[in-house]
Amino acid sequence: MTRTVEFTDTEFMIAQGARLMEDGKSIFVGWGIPQIVAILAQKLYVPNVVQLFEFGAVGPQSVLPFVRGTMGGPQNTYRSLQWLNMNWAFAYSASGYMDYGMLGALQVDPYGNINSTYLGGTFEKPERRFAGSGGGNQVASHCWRTIVIIKHEGRRFVPKVEFITSPGYLTGPGAREKAGLPRDTGPYRVVTSKALFGFDEETREMTLLSVLRGMKPEDVVKDMAFRPRIAESVAEIPPPTDDELRLLRNEIDPSRIIIRGERMTATA
Amino acid sequence: MSVIRREGPVEYRFEHPDDFRAHVRDRKSRMPSDKICRAGEAVSGFLKDGDYIVYDFSSLTRGPQALIREVIRQGKKDLWIGAEFTLHESALLTGAGCASRIDVGFLGYGNYIGQAVCDGRVKVYEWTNGGLALRILAGARGVPFLPTRDLLGSDNLAVSAAKVIEDPYTGLPVCLVPALNPDVAFIHVHQADPHGNARIFGTNLFALEAAMASHRVIVSAEEIIEPDEFRKDPMRTTIPYFLVDAVVHAPFGAYPGAMPARYEIDLEHVDLLNGIRTDEQMKKYLDENIYGVADHDDFLDKRVGAARMRELRRRATIIEGYR
Repeated sequence: MTRTVEFTDTEFMIAQGARLMEDGKSIFVGWGIPQIVAILAQKLYVPNVVQLFEFGAVGPQSVLPFVRGTMGGPQNTYRSLQWLNMNWAFAYSASGYMDYGMLGALQVDPYGNINSTYLGGTFEKPERRFAGSGGGNQVASHCWRTIVIIKHEGRRFVPKVEFITSPGYLTGPGAREKAGLPRDTGPYRVVTSKALFGFDEETREMTLLSVLRGMKPEDVVKDMAFRPRIAESVAEIPPPTDDELRLLRNEIDPSRIIIRGERMTATA
Repeated sequence: MSVIRREGPVEYRFEHPDDFRAHVRDRKSRMPSDKICRAGEAVSGFLKDGDYIVYDFSSLTRGPQALIREVIRQGKKDLWIGAEFTLHESALLTGAGCASRIDVGFLGYGNYIGQAVCDGRVKVYEWTNGGLALRILAGARGVPFLPTRDLLGSDNLAVSAAKVIEDPYTGLPVCLVPALNPDVAFIHVHQADPHGNARIFGTNLFALEAAMASHRVIVSAEEIIEPDEFRKDPMRTTIPYFLVDAVVHAPFGAYPGAMPARYEIDLEHVDLLNGIRTDEQMKKYLDENIYGVADHDDFLDKRVGAARMRELRRRATIIEGYR
């Protein structure tokens, strides 16, 4: 029997992100949505994942419900393995201990380059100014595999980002290595509120891998400002499961400040 | 003496390591003395217009908010902020006309500060969090720069003074960031003694590095304890006294942010800060909470109140890991 599930676009992104985690691996967790992804993943799928926060929390297991505005406080650094500081946190990623990094983004381009600094105008005189790198540049430079989480809005997918805040594959194959970035690193997946993208092994271009159940590849790529490659067979992504939604809504974010968003439906 | 250097459109602060060493030799006394003073005296005595400042951690967590408010109250001008996290403090410092440049970091909570950047009211440079932390470490380590394998390939390179050279060991490009020796570091701690020994419980950004690398260090503390306590438990010393110039006793000194295991964040007050978008709203906030009160104690009395403080203390239920 089929059943229709209702959820928000944010809940779908978070659930997708959580399903990408591998147990017994480490993840450098960016500020915001990635924190929620890591919490959901650790609760549901990957109990032995080692989270790292840039302000020096190694292996934290955040208390629930998630409390906003407590970066570095007792709630989200709860039951860590180790408390250090920023230079040591980036030492963990720079020396190769971080398998995954997870970051949000304002804009992303076909090579997975991330802009989170400004939109419109110039750097000196931007039309809109945002937070900038924080530790995102280090995460995208050092982690073996970087996952970008971004709302699926066409204007966020541009042929060339206005400012490379955090490096993807830069201008294509070999460009990261040529720039001096650590070997065999780079963007791995782009999780959106409609789809999942990877990067072509040879061309390093963003490639549509799968779409939310009920959507067609064309629904997903039509409003993007560049046309991504499309995998030979595009898989379907099931909507958030009951377990994922229950944890998100009842335990992680009962006030629904973080998980709110546009309503979506799909067949369970 | 720290000087402003220019490379194209980019300005950055730099000091020859030997000059900083001489400062440490001549001006950082290793003789313990009573450094307790009021926030007003610490700021007027150790901070001047045009100075470069850093702080640890943020306006949400253990940031030196009482000291930042005092800087604003005294109307300091032309400050340059080395802002690992620029949450509300840089918005307030910019809105009050105290800051002219920010090395970012993370320019968070951006309604007001983002607009100030767009309007050209404050200049920003992009070093990233890792880059700034490394600059401070280089300043503390007495070297002119440190190498790193990030920033490479990104556009932050063009809007900072980071340089890319060929690494003599691998032959690969490597990024160098210059040492940073701030004029003043503001650090809010759980416990300090009158000489300046200080303890932070929990994570930090670069508390020890910033204290070592800065010309002058102002510590504010929730609690003042006896110097002998540090000798009994040296693993817990975050900053030793001879790095510190002034010690301010400031209970609730991180308010409206949280002090881990002491009191929780006041989200209502933080939302008041988040809501500031216009100059009128900024002026109203500054008038009510900073200019309109005499000092930190007066602020706590008039704008926070004993009942609120009791409630925030009650909410700090997680003490595991903190002592």
